[in-house]
Order: sequence, then structure tokens, then C-alpha cells
Amino acid sequence: MFTRTDDKITTTQTSIFISSSVLGAGILTLPRSVVSAAKTPDVWLSILISGIIVILMAIVMAKLSQKFPDKTIFQYASNIAGKPLAFIISTLLLVYFIMIAGFELRVLAEVTMFFLLEGTPIWAIIIPFIWLSGYLLFGGINAIARLLQIIFPISVLVLIITYLLSLKIFDINQLRPFLGEGLLPVIHGLKSTVLIFSGFEITMFLIGHMQHPEKAIKAVVTGLGIPACIYLFTLIFVIGGLSVDAVLRSTWPTIDLLRSFEISGLFFERLEFPFLVIWTMQMFSNFTCYYYGASLGISQLIKVNIGPVILGLMPFIYLSAMIPQRSNDIFAVGDFIGWSSTVLFMIIPLPLYLIWLIRSKGLKQHV
Amino acid sequence: MFKCLFKLVSTLMICTLLLSACWSSREIEEQSVYVGMALDIANKSERDKQLEAQGGITEVDSLITATLQIVPIKSVKGNQPKEEGGVKKYLNDSETGDSIFEILRKYALKRDRAVIGHHMKVFIISTELLEKIDISTLSDFILRDNDLRPSCMVFLARSKAADALETNQPDEIPAFYIRNMTLNKYRNNEILDGVILTNLDQYIESKQSFILQNIASYQGESEFAGAGIIKGATGKWIGNLTQEDVSSISWVRGEGKGGLLKAVNDNNKIIIYEIKSLKTKIIPKVDGDRMTFQVNINSEGRLIENWDNRVDVSKIDVQTRMEELFEERLATMIQNLMNKLQKEYKVEVAGFGERLKITHPKVWQKVKKDWDEVFSDADVNVTIKLKITDYGSSAE
Repeated sequence: MFTRTDDKITTTQTSIFISSSVLGAGILTLPRSVVSAAKTPDVWLSILISGIIVILMAIVMAKLSQKFPDKTIFQYASNIAGKPLAFIISTLLLVYFIMIAGFELRVLAEVTMFFLLEGTPIWAIIIPFIWLSGYLLFGGINAIARLLQIIFPISVLVLIITYLLSLKIFDINQLRPFLGEGLLPVIHGLKSTVLIFSGFEITMFLIGHMQHPEKAIKAVVTGLGIPACIYLFTLIFVIGGLSVDAVLRSTWPTIDLLRSFEISGLFFERLEFPFLVIWTMQMFSNFTCYYYGASLGISQLIKVNIGPVILGLMPFIYLSAMIPQRSNDIFAVGDFIGWSSTVLFMIIPLPLYLIWLIRSKGLKQHV
Repeated sequence: MFKCLFKLVSTLMICTLLLSACWSSREIEEQSVYVGMALDIANKSERDKQLEAQGGITEVDSLITATLQIVPIKSVKGNQPKEEGGVKKYLNDSETGDSIFEILRKYALKRDRAVIGHHMKVFIISTELLEKIDISTLSDFILRDNDLRPSCMVFLARSKAADALETNQPDEIPAFYIRNMTLNKYRNNEILDGVILTNLDQYIESKQSFILQNIASYQGESEFAGAGIIKGATGKWIGNLTQEDVSSISWVRGEGKGGLLKAVNDNNKIIIYEIKSLKTKIIPKVDGDRMTFQVNINSEGRLIENWDNRVDVSKIDVQTRMEELFEERLATMIQNLMNKLQKEYKVEVAGFGERLKITHPKVWQKVKKDWDEVFSDADVNVTIKLKITDYGSSAE
């Protein structure tokens, strides 16, 4: 075995890292949130457009990170904007990572409790996940990237197989009429489709870990292109299988799609169980990305070892997962995270990039 | 040495914690699985009255009697003697109350094994009950619960819904039996495509009228008998369509992969057409407030039965005459259906709305709220082309 010790990851690993940070619990509720915003079957167009928007946003982040090789946002922010401002920016980002980590865990626990392990207490689901993820973080970014590399193809393959089997109840007429109400609903849908990509902010610290940072753009485009395609398929299959009206009435539409048919003759008659079990791994990867982001950020911000930070964060992540009381609160947190993602982009990478441009190109300073 | 032992012991302890199977596992042998549920209007049995007198039943006026079909018998009654062939494989058990969930939990008061719904296959509602309580209320729990899968099918019962869950055939479980009957659609187009709970969700949300397959039953025998109409605006049952009407709907929707068409020829003898292929196209035309639907039915089939031995079916002019007769017959059937839908019940359940939604989405947005009424005033023109491509293995 060759073990890397230099904390660098390959371009493919970066792509998978970014994909894993986006693909998580969102896929389970995505169709409902998008359809309720647009109320037409054309929402799959929204996802295409928002995918492009998000990729552009991520390219700005990647470009910015490329200017500071081997540095993460927590380190280079002070080079650009000065220490006090950088501290505020980093703190915001850290709070965001902790919040999103808690949210992903909570949704994972809710789905597991509702469909798989009715009766298991919530802490018994959440705490082992935090422990396991913490253990993985001690291995450093290489260990994480490798694990994601193993989990990602499995979960995506299972997802695609289950979708293909759902063709049994697929009806193309549910996706028609195409643009029956014009482009306006598609624009309305954009709001909620941009939100489901939240989490790609990890790009800002990931590029610093790349072995070939010059390939960052490629990594970001594939890393976000894959989830965009998966989301597109999700919308097409769920709406085609369930219809717009049924999606509106379903709390977990993607699972309800799998619950709406039975495959006889296959080893699994009911696909929601294998799917949920495999997708749990994906949600674990997803959670790990943010947990890592938060730990790395704190350790770099206050310049301490990452070990104690990982341990110290555990109770905070647990709290952040347990704060929402009702399922409505959970969905509200999800929406809030989505909005913060957009706001964070507006107040972090974009201004930083502009400041950097002004200082280096305009004022010819050495940043 | 001590360190090594410590590691070993702690690993073992963690293993016992983490690998000790499911937290809340229950043995499947200790559960009763129900595979069907039938809802009827409350009918207090003598037993209920007795129990009520002893304080066994809640005091609110009961509305619904729910019957569960529980399998297998072994989990219900203990071991049956083996030599006694033809043992019923199921047990139907009724409870009365005013909330479905409450009724289901009442089983905990009278059965030692909890009933679980993961394998529910059919959900049958009596039309009598559906006349009083709307379908979204009745199915609310069924759609909300996490055990019941949305792949469960929904039917109506003309008589008591509980009777549809009875059979006098040994070794049959009626819930599975009924569900599998929907697969016979390729043999008979009087069968509707199975409506699952997801479809029900869709119908309830869109508030459009729809039909559900009716089950008729008598003394342990059940069969599909037409369909019941549920009015979208109220969610209540308003009337029935006959088997012939259901067949016409299959023709109009272009759904039948098989089935037959019966007519009489000029000598008043029966002739039968077997569908080999069917293509239907509904073309909506909107001209101001006037709405016209052009229905084009194209089918190829076989002359499968002929009671008139005086005609030679291999002759082309005989075949053309028969095609005309079949076309006339089908046109009458569809005309009857349209009379029922547009005049008698004033509902639209034959897929015209869905078609309009696709071809004229803007118009649909305007009319969808009172689509049933709008459709009642629309013109429907039917053009039928049937082609007898062959006459089976006897030329005479």
C-alpha cells in the first residue's frame, strides 16, 4: 500500500469530493420543493439552468483559490481582506458548515427512523455517525477522499438502477405539456433548485489541497455536473412516475416513487430499502465533507491541531442536529441553509475576488 | 501484555454494542400481517353491543367498520391439522370506530399479535360509505402511514366491502387474488388499469373526477363489475358505470391491449371481434367557448366467433360488412357512455381533460376548476376504423 502523507488529492478525488458535498439528503425532498415552487412539470429545465449558475459560482471560487496555491479560504482571506474581516468571513463559513452538517445528519436520522428503524432512538442513529465520521477525519483528507471514492460510485449506481426500474410506472404524459405555462414557472423554480446545490462552498478550501491546482476548473465542473445530472434524472423520473399532483402531496417524493411499485422476481421486491441503505452511505459522505470543513476551518483559524478540534466539535454538531423540533422546523432549516449558501457566495468569494482583482491588477500590490 | 488485553476486551465490548442487530427488531412470526383492508358503513354487531355495554368501545358514534384480512392463519390460530385440506388461508376481522387509525389500534386490545401493514395489497371501500364520506378523508391515514406502501391498489365494492375479501376457494387469499385479476386487462378491456395509492394522491390533489373498479361479490365469489364514479369536487361516489361503459372507456383511452367487441350481423346472429391492436387519438379543438373533441379509434383485429353459418367469412365483402357492423356497435357504445358522462352524471373520467391539458395548457388552466361542467357542453365526434385482418384457423 502506498500511503500519502502530503495531504494532497487528485483531480478525480476533488471532483468526487465536491459531488459528495452536494449529493445528500436533498435528493429525497428535491422534487416536492421544486414542484411546489413552480407547479409545472417543466422544473427539470430549472435544474439545468441552476446547475449552470452554480457551476459558474463555483468557478469563481476555484479561480480565487488558484491564486493562493496550497492555501484554504481560512488562510488566504486575511491576505486579501485583512485579519478582522477574514475572521468574520471564516466564522460565518464555519457556522454554515456546522449547521449544514447537523441538518444532513438530522434528515438522515428522520428518514431512517420513519422508513427503516422505527423505534430506534434518534441519538442511537446520530451519535455513531458522528463518531465514525470523526474517526475518519483523523485520517486526514486523503483518507476521506479515498472513502468518498469508494462510496460514490456505489451509491450513484444503485440510484440509477432504482430509477431505471421505476420505468415500470413511468408515464411520459406526466411530464407534458412542455412549457405549457411559459418560462415564468421555470424561473420561479430556479430559486429552490439553486438551493439544493448548497454545500459546494467546500471548493474554497478543497482547491488548496489539490495536487494539480491548475486543473481546478475541470474538477469543479465535473464535480458539480454530476449532481446536476443526477438531480435532473431525479426530477424526470419522480414526476414521470408520480405526477406533479402526487409529488405535491408527498413528504419524501423520491422514496414514494420507489414505494409505488414492486418488482417480483428480483432479489429485492421493494427497492426503497436497498436504496435507503445505500443512500445512507452517501449521506454519511455528505456529512463528513462538512464536518471536515468545520474542523479544518477552526484549526486553521485559531492555529491549533485538528485532533482536539474534531473531538470538540462533536457536541456542537449533535446539538445542531437536534435543535429542530418538528419536521417543519427541519425543512425550514433546509431552506435557510439554501438561502445562506447564496448569500455566502455574494459576501465571500465574489467580493474577495473583486478585491483581489483591484489590489493585484489595479493597484499592482503583491497579495 | 496488559495493553494488548485491554485492546482486545474493548474491541469485544464495542462489537457487542454495535453488532447486536436491530434496536427495535420484532420477530415476523410474532406479528400478524394484514394484506387487505375493506371499509364499510358502521354496522354494530351483537358482539359490539355486548362489549359496549361492558365499556369496551369508545362512546363516540361509530362511522366505519374496517375489515382486515390477516395472513397466514398459522400466526392467528396456532397449528391446523394437516390432513384437513382446504383450510382457509386467511382470517377476516372487523372492528368499528370513527377513525381508521383508532380502529387499527383496537386490534391491539383483542389480538395477542400486533397487526402490521407493510404488505397491504388492496384497499376496498364500499360505495355506500363513499357516498357519505369523501375519499380524501377515508384514505388520509392510508396515504400518511409509513408502513403502508403506496403500491397498494384501490377498489370499490357495490355491496359490503368486507364480502369482497371472502372467497370459497381453498388456498386462495382474496387480497392477492383481486390484485392479480387486474393483470387480466390484456384479456378483457372491461378491466381498468389498477389504481394505486399514488394515483389516488394525484386524483385527490388535482380535484378531477375519476373512476375506480367496482367489485361485485356474492357468497364468496367476487368479480369486477364496471366502475364507480367519484366526483372530483366533492370526493364522493355519485354513480356507477356498467362493464360495457368501462370497455368503452378503454377504447377511448386506447388502453385495451386485448378484449373483444360483440355485435349482431344482418341475420341477427352474434359475431365477435378480438382486438389485436388499438390506437386512439383524442384531438381537442377550442374555438372561443366552443370545445370539440375528435376521437379517432384505429384498431386491427380478428373475427374470432361467428354464429352465422350461412356467410363465408373469408370473402372480403363479408368482412367489410362486418367491420361496418362492429364500427356501428362501438359507436353506439361510446355514444351511450357519452350520454352518461355528459348528461346523466356530468363528469369527465375518460381522459379528455388530460389530453386538453397537453394540447391546450392555457385553456386547461382556465377550465380545470369546473372541467366536469365544461365537458358536459363539449362536442365529441368519434371516428372509428376497425379492420378485420384475419378470421382465425377456420375459413368457413
